[in-house]
Amino acid sequence: MKLHSLIFLIGEAGRNIRRNGLMSLAALGTVTVALTVLGGSLWTTFRLNEFARLQPERFNRIDLFLPATSDRSVADALQKRIEKLPNVKNVELVPKEEAWKLIQQQEPTLTQALETNPLPDKLEVELEDPTQVSSLAQQFRDHKAFSQVEKVVDAGEEVRTLVNFARIIKIVGGGLSIGLFVATLFIIHNTIRLTVFARRREVRIMQMVGATPGFIRLPLLLEGLFHGTIGGIIAGVLVLLCGREVSLFVTSLKSPLVGNQASLLSPAQIFVLITLMGACLGVVGSFLAIRRFVRQI
Amino acid sequence: MIEFKDVCVSYASGWQALHNLNLTVEKGEFAFIVGPTGAGKSTLLKLIYRDEKPTQGTIRVSDQNLNEMRLRDIPFLRRKIGVVYQDFGLLPNKTVYENVAFALQVIGAARSTIRKQVPHVLELVAMGHRPDSFPNQLSGGEQQRVAIARALVNDPPILLADEPTGNLDPETSMGIIQLLNHIHVRGTTVLVATHDHAIVDMMQRRVLAFERGKLVRDELVGAYRSAEFEEPRP
Ligand SMILES: Nc1ncnc2c1ncn2[C@@H]1O[C@H](COP(=O)(O)OP(=O)(O)OP(=O)(O)O)[C@@H](O)[C@H]1O
Ligand SMILES: [Mg+2]
Repeated sequence: MKLHSLIFLIGEAGRNIRRNGLMSLAALGTVTVALTVLGGSLWTTFRLNEFARLQPERFNRIDLFLPATSDRSVADALQKRIEKLPNVKNVELVPKEEAWKLIQQQEPTLTQALETNPLPDKLEVELEDPTQVSSLAQQFRDHKAFSQVEKVVDAGEEVRTLVNFARIIKIVGGGLSIGLFVATLFIIHNTIRLTVFARRREVRIMQMVGATPGFIRLPLLLEGLFHGTIGGIIAGVLVLLCGREVSLFVTSLKSPLVGNQASLLSPAQIFVLITLMGACLGVVGSFLAIRRFVRQI
Repeated sequence: MIEFKDVCVSYASGWQALHNLNLTVEKGEFAFIVGPTGAGKSTLLKLIYRDEKPTQGTIRVSDQNLNEMRLRDIPFLRRKIGVVYQDFGLLPNKTVYENVAFALQVIGAARSTIRKQVPHVLELVAMGHRPDSFPNQLSGGEQQRVAIARALVNDPPILLADEPTGNLDPETSMGIIQLLNHIHVRGTTVLVATHDHAIVDMMQRRVLAFERGKLVRDELVGAYRSAEFEEPRP
């Protein structure tokens, strides 16, 4: 395509959008709402998915605390012994000095008051099979067998229920997102079909004077791209704002379950993804709309 | 130039809009297509610019068999055919100049061609003095002149007009027909579908009369009604 034609077609798309201001605004609004709902739900599902995926690791673990006075050799011996137990994948010794250093860094005001390290040595036992956590923890609690152990901490039954719940959410949320994706495509397709319909005179004349299908489609596709991209940008901002509110709220709960898990996706990536999704849906939606419409007349 | 051979058109409803049509229009001819409403006049024109396909038979337009034409060749057929409608079909938010230029822009014409052709063709239809007016600032006859300019701007060898004077008063209609005749004299093949008795009778040109999809009369110099039926004019 020649440059002057391309400039004409882009200009034509721009003129169409400006001239049909109210219609464009309505289309943009619809696309924005649809993309906000879709983007929000996709992100929520993604976060829950991350949560569900990380939880088993967090809870596939038993922490054994030794008495604060106990010797390092006791800890080493116990580590060797537990490593030989069936179903144990790995045993990590966290020396009290290390743990103390970490806390000193994190809570300097709190630790300043204390002169000596009050922490005990800790053994982190990782299991092959997360379902065995309870029974193994039970064994460690037996004082006759493991007299060196002062305290056993494992993930409770409630936590495992919650992990299962998160897994269900992941499946249901995934299904819902697919449904929402299809619905969004449908809404965008329909919206753009209306704007294409508003162009029927132009399209008709272009067909009558012998414009090629590519020439007829391009300004309409550009219009779809415009609505999708702008809608995506606004939706991205809305989703990020809502997401920040939600995460502030969750943090304020200070629940040990949620913790401060970083997401694999940064806000900038989420924004770009939603914008790209809007752009793609805009182009695909208008492409489908044009195909049906151009055949009709 | 235009050739119909055993052409039938039936719509999905089963209605036969055209029935076994055989017809040849030579290069540079001027012909009227007349007949009562629903006779198949518009259908005939649509077949020529490949807006409809025949159910049966073959159609040739400037040595091209439309039946064998690929979809992507249709735009190039249409660049050789100008079409004018009863309702003018101008874009309301473009000026006279822009409306005519649009037809060249959408087929990718160079800007220098557009700058040369548009004023030239507006001059031809006697609208050269109002390039910056919008359609709603023009009379019906003036709008139709602009529509004819748009149909002619690409210099097509064929001009089809479907009831071009349907919305115009008799005097304005005469002017439009004079314009079409002027274009014909310059060498363009012109086909005009019309209900307008006065025009057909005055022009004394070839008349193709249709009734219920059948070509019932083809006279090289004819009137709106056949000479055999002397009916009182309304
Ligand atoms: N798309 C269509 N589907 C079904 N029937 C159609 C279609 N287009 C036209 N027809 C029918 O075909 C017949 C011929 O139509 P056409 O438009 O060619 O008539 P016409 O001679 O142009 O009439 P008029 O003078 O009213 O414009 C009519 O009976 C019409 O109802
Ligand atoms: Mg008609």
